[in-house]
Amino acid sequence: MAKILVLGAGISGHVAAAHLRRKLSKEHQVVVVSPNSNYQWIPSNIWVGIGRMKSKEILFPLAPLYKRKNIDFLQAKAMAFYPEGDISENKPYVLVEYVTEQNKGKQEKVTYDYLINATGPKLNFEATEGLIPEKNKTHSVCTYTHAEPTWKALEILIHEMKQGKNVKILIGTGHPKATCQGAAFEYILNVERELVKRGVRDKAEITWISNEYKLGDFGIDGALLSYGGMTMKSNEMMEMIFEDRNIKWILGAGVTKIEDGIAHYENLDGEYKNETFDFAMLIPAFSGHGFKAYDKNNQDITDKLFKGFMIVDADYTPKPYEEWKAQDWPETYQNPSYANIFAPGIAFAPPHTISKPRKSKNGTEIFPSPPRTGMPSGITAKLVADNIIDSIKKGTMSLKHKGSMANMGAACIASAGYGRTQGSGVSITTYPIVPDYVKYKNTQGRDLNKTFGEIGLAGHWLKMTLHYAFIYKAKMKPFWWLIPE
Amino acid sequence: MTQRISKSKRARMQNPILQFFRYIRLNLKILKIVSKGHGSTRDVNYTK
Ligand SMILES: Cc1cc2nc3c(=O)[nH]c(=O)nc-3n(C[C@H](O)[C@H](O)[C@H](O)COP(=O)(O)OP(=O)(O)OC[C@H]3O[C@@H](n4cnc5c(N)ncnc54)[C@H](O)[C@@H]3O)c2cc1C
Repeated sequence: MAKILVLGAGISGHVAAAHLRRKLSKEHQVVVVSPNSNYQWIPSNIWVGIGRMKSKEILFPLAPLYKRKNIDFLQAKAMAFYPEGDISENKPYVLVEYVTEQNKGKQEKVTYDYLINATGPKLNFEATEGLIPEKNKTHSVCTYTHAEPTWKALEILIHEMKQGKNVKILIGTGHPKATCQGAAFEYILNVERELVKRGVRDKAEITWISNEYKLGDFGIDGALLSYGGMTMKSNEMMEMIFEDRNIKWILGAGVTKIEDGIAHYENLDGEYKNETFDFAMLIPAFSGHGFKAYDKNNQDITDKLFKGFMIVDADYTPKPYEEWKAQDWPETYQNPSYANIFAPGIAFAPPHTISKPRKSKNGTEIFPSPPRTGMPSGITAKLVADNIIDSIKKGTMSLKHKGSMANMGAACIASAGYGRTQGSGVSITTYPIVPDYVKYKNTQGRDLNKTFGEIGLAGHWLKMTLHYAFIYKAKMKPFWWLIPE
Repeated sequence: MTQRISKSKRARMQNPILQFFRYIRLNLKILKIVSKGHGSTRDVNYTK
């Protein structure tokens, strides 16, 4: 009998647990540890943030589902890793702390044969002074608990605009090295559309602020894409959309501090500037959770497991941008020191960024960190689960399933407005996610047959389809596994 | 505001009939990318 411990029940943890349970017989134990009692389909939070969806439409409680599916669920958070056990516990374990009312603060050693660390990012608001959801007129749509009050604040602002108030709205990234530009991009387009629908668009000055060097970088170094029979750069496409919707933009901006209605930032020219606003939604830095790790003798071995996020089979040798290779990116997400530990989704430490690193004249690093969107998070989780399943069945470590982000595609369907007939979406697919400038040397590192952009109502329908399909899949309803990651 | 998307283009982008076919095409294109799968970049089969 094998015991697989999955930390986190987000996209990657949940996908891994579901596949493990489906393919492993009952004698094997699957345990999920996560502090949130609910599963949430994060991409739809932007619609909660414009009042078009309620949180209950994007989440469901995990405990009843896991009980039905014979997955053990501990509503707790991982605290420290003991991959060799300790003096009193022979088996490797993770120290967890319960978060529920009745057990709050209680700690437990949860042992495992295989460990999947799928704890995603820590939303590191503290890394930017004053960036606190619902404070200083800043908001977030990163979780449903943030997105609900964000809509309330926006609703009040719309009301004030209807009374004649002119307002400034600022949306983008809230840290010099923030990632997830795609989510902010969706939110700015949705907010703009809502203001049009509610007849107050002329009352708002909407500005995009981002650490990207060019629009449409999205943390993947931009892309050359096929669009309507032409080959277009992603920055040209985004400029077209923003200009068409009268959205201004500030680029190369590292937001360092927020005061009530003021964003302070440094730009790549080394200038210290600020931008005022009545409402802002700024994505925070994503960081590791600051986990500690100890060996059998209680010696600190955090460096063997973590480099911010978890260390996996990537090539972490520091080298200049010009020497980065597709082969630097991990393929099995296995920790090199402990073969039974894996980290899919956002939890793994990338070898370096994807976008070209840039410094301001004062030496401040201002560029996007690498994003790991839903599709690669799901794919990497499934391949990790498949390797563990094979290893258990064969009785020996098997790493047949591989998936490098430099040999994997992603479809990013960015909502650009909500509505059955009035909605819109910007559909962008990239293949591969991490550009391979050697293999696709004339097309900016990507295969142009599979890297394309589309704008229109179909994109909105597609985004809606994904919302329903992925919630269906997450609920493990009949034949859920036929829906690809 | 600079009108970068012409009125006719915008009408096509929001036309439910045209967009229905776009939707089918988009689904198929994305499925093609997904079905191609993913893999290693370090294996010998990863052709240059
Ligand atoms: C607003 C927004 C919109 C987005 N839109 C899209 C989109 O349209 N398309 C797309 O592909 N991607 C989108 N993304 C990105 C996508 O949500 C992420 O790629 C994905 O959620 C990453 O999955 P993950 O499982 O690695 O991390 P997460 O989904 O963040 O899951 C992490 C899990 O770990 C748990 N956890 C945290 N700390 C601990 C701990 N100490 N112990 C145990 N468990 C812990 C959390 O509670 C959570 O369950 C969006 C992201 C945001 C924020």
